[in-house]
Amino acid sequence: MSAYLTLMTPMVDRECLLQALCDLGFGHQKIELHETPASLTGYRGDSRAQVANIIIRRQYVGSASNDVGFLATPTGYQSIISEFDLRNFGPGWTQELNIRYKHHEAVKHERLAEEERKRVEEERKRLVEAQRRAIHERAAKLGYQVKETKEGETLRMVLIKRTY
Amino acid sequence: MVINVARTLPKSSANGPGDRYVLWVQGCPLACPGCWNPDTWSFKRKDLRTINEVAEDIRGTRGIEGVTFTGGEPFAQAGALSLLARTIQESGLSVFIFTGFTLPELKEPEHLRLLECADILVTGRYIESLRSADLPWRGSSNQEVHFLSNRYGPESMIGAPVIEFHLNPGSPNSITGFPIEVEWRSPL
Repeated sequence: MSAYLTLMTPMVDRECLLQALCDLGFGHQKIELHETPASLTGYRGDSRAQVANIIIRRQYVGSASNDVGFLATPTGYQSIISEFDLRNFGPGWTQELNIRYKHHEAVKHERLAEEERKRVEEERKRLVEAQRRAIHERAAKLGYQVKETKEGETLRMVLIKRTY
Repeated sequence: MVINVARTLPKSSANGPGDRYVLWVQGCPLACPGCWNPDTWSFKRKDLRTINEVAEDIRGTRGIEGVTFTGGEPFAQAGALSLLARTIQESGLSVFIFTGFTLPELKEPEHLRLLECADILVTGRYIESLRSADLPWRGSSNQEVHFLSNRYGPESMIGAPVIEFHLNPGSPNSITGFPIEVEWRSPL
């Protein structure tokens, strides 16, 4: 009988973890995703006590291997790798997985930051457009003619009253 | 010699003829009730810049016809501003000055040195009860426009913008000129 060792990894983002697993040869076709943790299967086809949300079934892990799983916990995904499979999925593999995870996490953070920057920029542009319309409305009401020029990002609006 | 600067605007057409670099100086002894820029009254140090620094900034601004001194009270820093004005004029730019003093009140030697450099001068206290939206370059009807050189005349006031907005998605928006109507004091 082989034992299961539970190794903690500081991985909290499912998308980044799946990308990291893909980098190591476990693409989406080799991965099972479960919203509710599902049981892992042992090398004899027996259902194990351990459960996981992300499962690599044993046929993709290796001959006589057990399932490899990742369980979502409040402190991140917990990897579940049997002692037998530590030969191929030991600390070196976990370290590589972590490196790939961190890379994807950094890329994702950059992407999200860029999306946020664009969102804020769009919001500011929308605000400027609303202010522009408000100035036109107020100017028309008060008898001003408005001339607009643009220099770079700055919109210059000059109001002229033709009473002199 | 340094100038206590409240703020600058690289290009405005509501503060004199053509596009102008506008320099608001810090400090005013007059404190007219209803003044639009009460934050410029204090003579405490705000942004001290050498004449050369300001002159370089002005020379580096493309497409302007001249420079406008406003404030604050430009004649409270007449010594430094007269040196700056002379440098500006050597670059071919015109000089426009807003002051809360009347012309007879400007009699100190350094006042006269600054006056020598001015192409246009607008004088007089801002009197809220006399405010008018129909007078170019003036906030209240008691104020007077003086053309002190041959460069400009009354025709340069025709079609002068009264109010100017600068809207930018990445920085605070600004309004300059003479937003007399109370409607301009409420948020857009």
